[in-house]
Amino acid sequence: MDQANLDGKRAAEPRTPESTPLSAFQRYGLSVLGVSLAVCLALLLQQLHFRDVEVPLLFFALAVAAWYGGVGAAILGWALSCIGFDFFFVEPLYSLSIEPFEIPYFVVFALFAGLVTWFSTVRRRVERELRQARDDLEKRSAELAASNKELEAFAYSVSHDLRAPLRHMAGFSELLQKNSAQALDGKSKRYIGVILESAKRMGALIDDLLSFSRIGRSETNKAAVNLGQLVEEALSEVRRDLRDHKIVWKIDKLPAAYGDRAMLRLALVNLISNAVKFTRTRSPAEIQIGQMPASDDQVIIFVRDNGVGFDMKYVGKLFGVFQRLHSGEAFEGTGIGLATVQRIAHRHGGKAWGEGAVDQGATFYLSISKSKQINL
Amino acid sequence: MSALGRILLVEDDPNDVELTLTALEDYHLANEVVIARDGAEALDYLYRRGAYADRANGSPAVLLLDLKLPRVDGLEVLQQIKGDEKLKVIPVVVLTSSREERDMVASYRLGVNAYVVKPVDFHEFVNAIKELGVFWAIVNEPPPGSIKRPGA
Repeated sequence: MDQANLDGKRAAEPRTPESTPLSAFQRYGLSVLGVSLAVCLALLLQQLHFRDVEVPLLFFALAVAAWYGGVGAAILGWALSCIGFDFFFVEPLYSLSIEPFEIPYFVVFALFAGLVTWFSTVRRRVERELRQARDDLEKRSAELAASNKELEAFAYSVSHDLRAPLRHMAGFSELLQKNSAQALDGKSKRYIGVILESAKRMGALIDDLLSFSRIGRSETNKAAVNLGQLVEEALSEVRRDLRDHKIVWKIDKLPAAYGDRAMLRLALVNLISNAVKFTRTRSPAEIQIGQMPASDDQVIIFVRDNGVGFDMKYVGKLFGVFQRLHSGEAFEGTGIGLATVQRIAHRHGGKAWGEGAVDQGATFYLSISKSKQINL
Repeated sequence: MSALGRILLVEDDPNDVELTLTALEDYHLANEVVIARDGAEALDYLYRRGAYADRANGSPAVLLLDLKLPRVDGLEVLQQIKGDEKLKVIPVVVLTSSREERDMVASYRLGVNAYVVKPVDFHEFVNAIKELGVFWAIVNEPPPGSIKRPGA
């Protein structure tokens, strides 16, 4: 949403009554009307033999004038109340001569009007601040929506437009390799091999990056999830690419959790395939999947391996996008897996973290909030 | 082989056209491919107007449709075809670079017959195109009124 659109929307919004300031005429009119009504009502009640009703009625009129009319209206209301009180209700009646015993009344009128005015001012200020905060929030959320939309458009065009040239690179290199196999010497063939390999790698990078960004922008679809079953599914996916890599699995009983099934599955696949990858040099490789003692509000599961581990010095880099602690030659990968896991954890009100030491294996933890309220 | 159906390939990228034709050549399907460079051209072909006003009667056995096209894009073409009583029997296969879910959902909503994401890997790409070509132009019986020539 652009700025013009935003302003238009705000202008069209119906204004709440509080936010429309009264005109000066209305404010002073309120004082005059209020005090006059109070005086008339008091006189009327006096006719009906009610005594001493004028003071509470004038208080009420003053309060209304001060609350809605502000300082000016309060002063006018006070002056009118004093005059009305003196003129109609204090002996000698119908004269404006002020008796000493009236002074405390005038002071109390003034104090009361002052108090109400002060309350009203405070209320107005708080209201204004709240409105300001709300407007800021609205603006912020509109900006966020706009940038989210931009991001989505970006991801969309990446997904459409970056793949095509890549496919052409791979395709035509392949055709070159096929059609000119005789003419090419070993070196040239290797060059073509590198081109193909790079194109493939870039394809994987784009796919991973897109799925990473999709986790950030897609809606989470949460329900009760059986983590044990999810681990089984993740395992069967990971095992497909195992070939002759022997692994001793130790899988503890896992609790149920509340979350987005597809996302949690992806997180588990990433963690498990990491463990598999980094134990490739071990024989036997051992991977344990278990849960930490449950806390009140979080489920914590871990994946532990006896693989090559990592230096805790670099633990902060583990979960960054495109951050890798091993060379691509030693262990393949795009460097997005753990960033994806972290993002999934965040969207479930939890976090992901790792512990390890060089050559002594690593443990990765994933916590998920138990609360069903979390909807990030 | 019984008969070869005509394939209408709607694709704006010449490289993709070349790769697709290369893949189809292995089954001698390439000769039966008509290429439209954008959605407007594809619709011209189907409605026999503009540059295609003089072509013989008959619909293609299948339409391979890219989504991102100049002028009239793929989804608009699809909508036009599936909204037209005469054209909606033509099988349409979306053949696109994007794995975007909303494209997929939109295409199926409009009644696409198949949705294929072009693989980056050449071998996979060739296989995908071949399978598509073989299935839709040879195996599948297209609706009556489609162009077929006796096969080899």
